[in-house]
Amino acid sequence: MLQTKQKPRAKPVVGWKLAPRRESHAIWYVFLLPTIVGILLFTLYPLIESLRLSFTRGVGEQYVGFQNYANVLLSDTFWYAVYNTFYITFFQLLLAIPFGFLIACLINSLRRTSNFFKILFYIPNTTSMVAAATVFLAILHPDGPLNYVVELLGFERVVWLSQPLSAKWGAIILSVWHWLGFVIIVTLANLQAIPGEYYEAASMDGASRIQQWIWITIPNMVGSLTILFVLGWIGGLQRFSDAYMLGGLQGSPARSLHTVVGFIFERGFGGSEYGIASAAAYILFIFILIFTFLSTKLLRMKI
Amino acid sequence: MLRSKDREKLMNAGIFVLLALLGGVAIYPFLWMISVSLEQNANVALPFPPRIIPEEFTFFHYTLVFENNRLLLAYWNSLIIAFFSVILSISSALLGGYAFSRGTFWGKRFLFFMVLATMMIPFETTLIPMFTMFNDFGMINTFYPLILPSIVNALGIILAKQYFDQLPEGLRESAKMDGAGEFLTFFAIFLPLTGPITATLAILSFQGSWNSFIWPLVVINDQMLKTVPLFLSSFSSENGSRLFGVTMATASMSILPILIVFLFLQKYIVRSVALSGLKGE
Repeated sequence: MLQTKQKPRAKPVVGWKLAPRRESHAIWYVFLLPTIVGILLFTLYPLIESLRLSFTRGVGEQYVGFQNYANVLLSDTFWYAVYNTFYITFFQLLLAIPFGFLIACLINSLRRTSNFFKILFYIPNTTSMVAAATVFLAILHPDGPLNYVVELLGFERVVWLSQPLSAKWGAIILSVWHWLGFVIIVTLANLQAIPGEYYEAASMDGASRIQQWIWITIPNMVGSLTILFVLGWIGGLQRFSDAYMLGGLQGSPARSLHTVVGFIFERGFGGSEYGIASAAAYILFIFILIFTFLSTKLLRMKI
Repeated sequence: MLRSKDREKLMNAGIFVLLALLGGVAIYPFLWMISVSLEQNANVALPFPPRIIPEEFTFFHYTLVFENNRLLLAYWNSLIIAFFSVILSISSALLGGYAFSRGTFWGKRFLFFMVLATMMIPFETTLIPMFTMFNDFGMINTFYPLILPSIVNALGIILAKQYFDQLPEGLRESAKMDGAGEFLTFFAIFLPLTGPITATLAILSFQGSWNSFIWPLVVINDQMLKTVPLFLSSFSSENGSRLFGVTMATASMSILPILIVFLFLQKYIVRSVALSGLKGE
């Protein structure tokens, strides 16, 4: 829909052919110089160097072939970190995407105060994860507000950060709370881009609000819900701050909050095992590529 | 007719109340944080049951925070880093976005692809070589590693390119007729028009710099050079599950600048987030 609107906008092609074309094109490389230097120095070089390091071991950087990769892939600690990362991210997305979408629909149906709610729900996402986690360390405290709610509902108090399962759920609650505003903003932008004529036509045909929601809103949302899913996985696989703040360097209790990036961080900077850490970093990279690839495939299929 | 209008109104009121309740839950952790930071006995134990209005009100925890100069120092450090990161990332994004929008040069598509590709590379993959590289430069425990990498700003370039694409080509033609080169055209004609996109880029970059954690954690060990998140992290891990009053006062002070920036410029943030979330479509 949007695309058909944009197409007819003619570009003044004629005018620009008249402009003097004598000038050297080299000037554009000067414009791009900061970016090119930056990419070479801070992306490309580290990427290659990381690959090289992943095949070496020790201070002497002795070549060891795929041994680091084998070590990482055979390590229970690593797979437990992968499991934790996937577990927390899976439930984060499962809760935040549908819930955020529903809230966005409610906000969208309001006429006047929608901007106020948009801002209100987005505030948690603007704050640093470290600050958010500091507050949640207290919220998850045995005497904290969460346990107050748990008691109100008639359950026993939970010492959230002392048991592996409840600690993970503590991290999930924190990350859902922190990410929800992002989901709301993105879905709200998409909701507002759905042409109003669709709904007018449907209500003329006698469709109820719920029917309109199921047959017009949801099909039009598939794109941005998929985007959120992709961005959510990419961000989720890279999670570190939340788990580190709640569980420390080792992801306590019992490594239940140890994540993939936590593994890289611990081995790289705790143990100075650059080779192992680089191999794990490349494995993370491959995970992310697979997820990005799969979800862009899904996107093409649906749109 | 009137009845269906009334029903509509009632439903709107219902949705408003529901959203207000949900919004209250979303914002509750902050309200509670402020409440605990103002509570008299919060350094001894958490107030239970939790309340929003402190029972015995005090500013004592905030005075403690300010008497301890380390937080002010962390503020100063974070501000310096954010300032230079913002300048650097805006400059490279505007220059690059303009070149990709208006330029014709060899390798343009390839370079644009390179820029896009940097967005797909997780920062963690480059973490260790970045550390060893800055270590070789002798820049560990300086602000350089926290400032210089912000020169790579793929999202900024994309947003800037989109913005420049919308500006009329006629501007450039007339500047050319008057004999202006590309640089003069950019600085004299286009740059003054970039207000909204510059604001967006500045906020995104400020937010990223102010909130970043893992990279500062790697390159800064010096107490005097700690940024706000580093200070907050070490403060809350040192004090574990006590001194809630001071911890919450520190946390609320750490959030304050970003909150002020957000509330004043939320229009731009909301738009840029929506753009970055929808860019794949």
